[in-house]
Amino acid sequence: MAITDTPRFVRADGPDKVTGSGRYVADLTLTGMLTAKMRYAEVAHARITKIDVSAAKAIPGVFAVLTADDVPDLRYSPVVPDRHLFAKDTVRFEGEVIAAVAAINADVAQQAVDAVVFEYDELPIVDDLEAALAPDAPLVHEAWETYAVTGDTPRDRNVATFSSISKGDVDAGMAAADIVVKQRYVADGSHAAPIEPRGVVAQWEGNKVTIWTSTQVPFDARNGVCETLQMPSNRVRIIVPHLGGGFGGKCGFHYEAHIAALAKAAKRPVKLVFSREEEFLAPDRRRESMIIDLETGLNADGTIAARRGWVAVENGAYTADSAFFPQLAAMHVAGPYKIPNVHIDSSLVYTNRQPSGSVRAPTAPQGCWACETHTDELAEAVGMDPVAFRKLNAIDTGAEGVVGQVYGEIGLQECLDTATEMAGYGQDLPDDEAIGVAIGWWPSFPGASGAYVRLDADGAGQIVTGAQECGTGAVMTLRQLAADELGMDPEDFEIIYQDTGVAPYDTGATGSQTLLNNGRAVVAASEQIAEQLKDHAADMLEAAAGDIVLASGTAHVAGSPDKSVTIAELAEVAAGGEMLIGKGSPVPPEYPEIPGMNCVGDQGVAAWAAPQFSCHAVRVRLDRDTGVARVLDIACAHDSGTIINEIAAHGQVEGGVLMGIGQALTEGTVYGEDGRQKNPALLEYKLQTFADAPTIKTAFVQIATAEAGPRGAKGLAEAPNVPTAAAISNALAKLVGQPVRQLPMTAERVWEATLSGNSPNSSNGDSGEAS
Amino acid sequence: MHQMNLEVNGVSYPVVADASRNLLSVIRTEVGLTGTKEGCDDCECGACMVLLDGQPVNSCSYLAAQAEGRAITTIEGLAEGDELHPIQAKMLELGGVQCGFCTPGMIMSAHALLERTPQPSEEEIRIGLSGNLCRCTGYAKILAAVGEAAVEIR
Repeated sequence: MAITDTPRFVRADGPDKVTGSGRYVADLTLTGMLTAKMRYAEVAHARITKIDVSAAKAIPGVFAVLTADDVPDLRYSPVVPDRHLFAKDTVRFEGEVIAAVAAINADVAQQAVDAVVFEYDELPIVDDLEAALAPDAPLVHEAWETYAVTGDTPRDRNVATFSSISKGDVDAGMAAADIVVKQRYVADGSHAAPIEPRGVVAQWEGNKVTIWTSTQVPFDARNGVCETLQMPSNRVRIIVPHLGGGFGGKCGFHYEAHIAALAKAAKRPVKLVFSREEEFLAPDRRRESMIIDLETGLNADGTIAARRGWVAVENGAYTADSAFFPQLAAMHVAGPYKIPNVHIDSSLVYTNRQPSGSVRAPTAPQGCWACETHTDELAEAVGMDPVAFRKLNAIDTGAEGVVGQVYGEIGLQECLDTATEMAGYGQDLPDDEAIGVAIGWWPSFPGASGAYVRLDADGAGQIVTGAQECGTGAVMTLRQLAADELGMDPEDFEIIYQDTGVAPYDTGATGSQTLLNNGRAVVAASEQIAEQLKDHAADMLEAAAGDIVLASGTAHVAGSPDKSVTIAELAEVAAGGEMLIGKGSPVPPEYPEIPGMNCVGDQGVAAWAAPQFSCHAVRVRLDRDTGVARVLDIACAHDSGTIINEIAAHGQVEGGVLMGIGQALTEGTVYGEDGRQKNPALLEYKLQTFADAPTIKTAFVQIATAEAGPRGAKGLAEAPNVPTAAAISNALAKLVGQPVRQLPMTAERVWEATLSGNSPNSSNGDSGEAS
Repeated sequence: MHQMNLEVNGVSYPVVADASRNLLSVIRTEVGLTGTKEGCDDCECGACMVLLDGQPVNSCSYLAAQAEGRAITTIEGLAEGDELHPIQAKMLELGGVQCGFCTPGMIMSAHALLERTPQPSEEEIRIGLSGNLCRCTGYAKILAAVGEAAVEIR
């Protein structure tokens, strides 16, 4: 079926958002509502000796002050349950919650926070990924062996989880190689930094609680409340009003249980809204710092013979959803290449810093940056043009990748051709400009997902879905899918969404999975209604149901367009009997099997379903006197399967690219010796502005992919964030004379590299075609 | 407590608030218009942009009492009944809106820009809106929307 032609697609939530009438959590007010504030540890590692809230509780206007003593005593988190809602015995990072307060207004709440007595003995800080691995390193979790871990990941002291990917014989491959290149790459942590700071409102009625929260994953948030407060799922209702961006920072389970517990204790609705500083310091969702050692053996003809890697991924103080990060990181540093012999060891390392969590393509921008910077170094070592080197070594349809998976029809090589052509790769450039190229990949995540679709008596449609819209337009696109199945207009549908009380389960705005999974659910639900409509039309038009065509808001007999009835008329008829209600929750596409895959600590992210591919080619100008780099333009080619909503797809690429530029050049968390963040503000942690943004050209290599989403669509929200920093790195390396092997590649770091670079002024920019 | 009259979107609001309160919080609570957003309370993100006598101001860093006697325009004051302002319409039509949290402030800044520079170049749009952070769009679709809105307004 043809995709509805909507070149100018108006989002269903758009009018709310441009008029200011759309409500976000911070905009909600309930009668009797109290203000919540948190008392944070503000120390990186300490043994708690005293917490006394009696003075805080005595302040007039304070309704509740809670600590670990006031909630069920249990550890939570998926895979490695290693944390409590409130600090208990030990503080492991500065943003840990000591106490939560609900008071009549913000001023009184702050007084109560200040009145909480918190005493402690400081413990040695673990803040260096390598030092943390030493046998005598202080432990972040002394009782790590007692945690009730699921699965069989190897763990050891400060290593929270460990994975390896392995194929062939890397020792033999390396020994036989003609050239071996070995380098270290170090990436700092960074932040999701959505423009909306998070908020939570909780209200109890009887034994049920409704929680309005700025989460990307309403069902995950519900499960977190159920787990930590020991409640059944049908007494916890999560509603997300409009969500002001997430980028993974609002995935997982955060403060919903704290605020629900406060509201219960205070017997009043309670509201929490974060300041920008809290948004930087407290959530367990920042992008992980990484150390990556890569050693690659090349044959004289430029083919890759073997790759050995060692990766340390920072976990921070607690294991949020990061258990699978080491395996994912291993895949990214190995890269989308044909390498016969591979071995990567990858560890998730505890530190006394903010926990890491799924920020837009976790581990991928850093892993790709290391892999692709290394790839340009390999090309130089063997005397090849970097694009030609990638053409030779990158996987394509039918090729075997780094874990032995053989890929179906994929568009990586076409992405490489398309992006480099759009960028004018090989053209003569001024000597302060160069074009860098990088390729990247990212998995799709098939999973369970449900939706209802209904047509009411007037023919107006409702899509009721558990899916979460965080701005990407993925939920908005569901209207297109329903409309196409039913021969209607997308504008005929409204969407009821992000409310766990009314809609079936969906994983949420995470893993680029919304359209992939919920799109299939909406199509399945719509198909059921289509059958009903065809049966009714067949009766009215005296034709066989199989001959009825739904199009342009009518049902007509195939070949006789004038023999028709409107869908609104059919809906009116159906409303008096068997109503038009469809439900969809199709079986997810299967993950590929990889016979003989040799991975330790498998976390399910080595075999990739419907993998997405990309190539970015970026033109950068460098001021060598200051180290300041400016991205002038960038060409992006993406294989994300079939593109269903073109305007939203472009928006995903453009937003991902800009975030990638920030990660490349300016966005990095800086820590003091006390283990605390030194730049938790937008003045010191620089996002890219309108004036910084380059021209972005995007092309989609569209391959309708089997075992993927509706019409062969794959995910897209995270993929554009993967190769941008890597491409910028490769442009800078040409201009500086050597790579800047630290991320972000700040002006200071670039300038320092320029001093020791070997050809800063003689570089002619882009090195041109293959030699 | 300070008693004042604030004129917001042509409507006069009698307000009683502490003299230290910023304009953003008074607009959002006492006046009751929540379209103006708080992203940082630090003049860095632009989500709280309103117009004071047509000039763009970060309302988080402006005292409410100082706005007395001046015409305050918020995002709620742009549309004429059901008819969107051309900037609003083009933002929707061209995909300049994603999560929408920066959108009200961005539109107010764009409005001020087009008032003082009715035919802006691409560079003038970029500079004129550089005080408004957007994390979703990469600014590309907003650039197109403001450019087309300028043409339509002419």
